[in-house]
Amino acid sequence: MLPLTELPPAAAAGIPRRRFLQGGLLGGALLALGGGALALGGGALALRSTRLVPVPPEGLRVLTPGQYAVVDAFVRRMAPPRPGFPPHEVVRTALNADRILAATEAGAQEDFRRLLDLFESALAGLLLTGRTTPFTRLSPEAQDAVIADWRDSGLALRRTGFQALRALAAGAYYGSPRVWPAVGYPGPPAALHDPAAPVWKGGGAPRPGGGLGGGP
Amino acid sequence: MSCAEAGRIHTGDEVAQDLERTCDVCVVGSGAGGAVLAHALVERGLCVVMLEEGGYHTRREFDMREDHAFPRLYQDLGNRATDDLSLTMLQGRSVGGGTTVNWCVCYRTPPKVLALWRDVHGAEGLSEEALAPHWDWLEQRLHIAEWPIAAANRNNRLLWDGLGALGYERHSLKRNVQRCVNSGYCGMGCPVDAKQGMLVTLIPEAVERGLTVFANARVLRLETRGRRVEAVHAQLLDPETDRPTGRRLTVRARVTALCAGAINSPALLLRSGLDGGGRVGRRTFLHPGIVSAALFEEPVNAWYGAPMSVGSRQFAERGDDRLGYLMETPPVHPMLGAIALGGFGLAHQEAMEQLAHVQAALVITRDGVVEGDEGGTVALREGGRRLSIQYPLRAHHWEALRHAQVELARVQLAAGAREVRSLHARPVVVRRAEDLPLLERAPWEALRVKVFSAHQMGGCAMGGDPARSVVDSRLRYHGLDNLFVADGSVFPTSVGVNPQQSIFGLARWGAQHVAAAVGA
Ligand SMILES: Cc1cc2nc3c(=O)[nH]c(=O)nc-3n(C[C@H](O)[C@H](O)[C@H](O)COP(=O)(O)OP(=O)(O)OC[C@H]3O[C@@H](n4cnc5c(N)ncnc54)[C@H](O)[C@@H]3O)c2cc1C
Repeated sequence: MLPLTELPPAAAAGIPRRRFLQGGLLGGALLALGGGALALGGGALALRSTRLVPVPPEGLRVLTPGQYAVVDAFVRRMAPPRPGFPPHEVVRTALNADRILAATEAGAQEDFRRLLDLFESALAGLLLTGRTTPFTRLSPEAQDAVIADWRDSGLALRRTGFQALRALAAGAYYGSPRVWPAVGYPGPPAALHDPAAPVWKGGGAPRPGGGLGGGP
Repeated sequence: MSCAEAGRIHTGDEVAQDLERTCDVCVVGSGAGGAVLAHALVERGLCVVMLEEGGYHTRREFDMREDHAFPRLYQDLGNRATDDLSLTMLQGRSVGGGTTVNWCVCYRTPPKVLALWRDVHGAEGLSEEALAPHWDWLEQRLHIAEWPIAAANRNNRLLWDGLGALGYERHSLKRNVQRCVNSGYCGMGCPVDAKQGMLVTLIPEAVERGLTVFANARVLRLETRGRRVEAVHAQLLDPETDRPTGRRLTVRARVTALCAGAINSPALLLRSGLDGGGRVGRRTFLHPGIVSAALFEEPVNAWYGAPMSVGSRQFAERGDDRLGYLMETPPVHPMLGAIALGGFGLAHQEAMEQLAHVQAALVITRDGVVEGDEGGTVALREGGRRLSIQYPLRAHHWEALRHAQVELARVQLAAGAREVRSLHARPVVVRRAEDLPLLERAPWEALRVKVFSAHQMGGCAMGGDPARSVVDSRLRYHGLDNLFVADGSVFPTSVGVNPQQSIFGLARWGAQHVAAAVGA
């Protein structure tokens, strides 16, 4: 196998670029690699397809069902079943991730979708590490190995991909108040926030008094 | 031209048709620089229109939930980062800018830094003497005062104790708060308006005196002709979705002041075809820093209490060829904590279970002062809308971060930590002083350890020589008569301390030059 992981980023960047691959969340080179591999994947080397999971009834805003399944699988490894921790399905982590992405710039969304495709792709896996099964179809242990591989890769661009996926998964899971008990966080102090506080916009109206409190 | 009517804060949903306004000064951005500047100009009787891309979020919305606060109050939902994600940036984006979410620490600009800016970068006028009256005014107006050590939360108290045990320099920090309830939620917007940020102080006061603010107004471009800015073109955003409503706002001002912060001000110039001879977006400084997470037997509950109130200058100066750094503390809440803490799967969950016992300490490195340290760059990606931020961490940065990690761990162990973890993707754990070399041997390399910035500076460097700077010593853009920049982007290097008060002071000092340009 071509030891692409050994290539310094500069060499990898020599791979011809496409318009959509320039710059972006992940820089060009890694995605160029994935894009090429995916293009090939439509042909003779097409391997097994993504293992889908049910799409939530609310529907997805950014992710395709396949990309949703990849996020779902990644999150499952990031927050595996553990006593005290709510299951990631209950937190609706993958849906949260879709909603987080929906609030980001279009270009960043595009980058992320490409990353997910690349991460899932058996062909990219084959080129990078010799894996021939899509991520979603691997055993949990093999998935952990793939993730560790990206995390520890000598290719900075793969580490970027790992960091992007990990941050999304962590934000989508631990951002939920459902997870607060698991980490011993009692939540914000009650009664500090006043959801009915007046909103002053000027226009000659008198400004309501400032803050409460009495600390130092 | 003074404003005919009392000012008002408009939000994007209130604008039903394309608008055009004329005024004396158009201020772009409502953060530390923009708000202070606008206030000072209105005080002088000028008619000022302020445009802010972010929303008008007030304590009514500050429910202290991370999943609500980051998307509303931060650039890129709190995920702003360099292109390769090796450096994560927290930066504000709402009325009040960074001052709505920052951790309240206030420092006057160190005299040595002002001297460096003058002597090496040719920035005249920003002397201690010139700034002192402005700082005095600000300190009084924003209730900037030392936070007593007795009121420090346990997170800060442990840093204090550790520093003391080692005989390291330590001091309590000054904060801009009034009637603070010590809640710990500064970073999500103060729920009781105790933080004396621009949202509740100078912006409303200026609005009462005639300032008009458009929130959800994203400036796309400055239109120039010859040596003048003719118009400022903005699009209005829907406050709910943050997407364009289709409405446009054009402001024709005698003078324009760019205060969009140290990533967006250079980006906006570039989008307007103003590249300052290739210097716009260069010399971006970030105070890159790391966080060290210590576990204590007793709960620390670092989510409650004034987040940052103790600091150490012990390693602020490390010689001319090494980056000095300050030690401080960040707050700890679950979402950011989960993203920051290293480890994956089970190991990560085990760390997260102990979150209440985590004491977090950080350093900010004083980048830009080592010879040849040019910092990072802000540029536009193809298509123009998206930013590209690069900040190559070089050997001298890694040297400082590695040194800082060891020293943070030393302090935390001295305070009684059971163990200390680095924020490496594969965390390095030390339990005794003898283990500290493990931290030195850890991989100090991009994307193997978390590096953060909450202090963006530079990109529109101020200086005497047009061949080396973007704005002159009066903050005027070289080459245009009626364009000024007044925010953290004009710093020729990083400021080396938490920057907000330096930016406040700069803007209040700079108001005289902006006013002079409209003949006031
Ligand atoms: C979490 C956090 C904690 C911090 N803690 C501290 C601290 O304790 N002490 C300290 O000194 N500093 C702290 N800082 C840093 C400090 O808040 C900033 O340095 C300071 O606010 C920068 O001021 P500025 O005027 O340069 O930019 P900002 O305050 O960022 O203001 C710029 C404004 O311009 C707006 N804008 C950008 N582009 C456009 C556009 N195209 N059109 C219209 N508007 C636009 C932005 O939305 C933003 O509101 C902290 C920052 C963060 C994020």
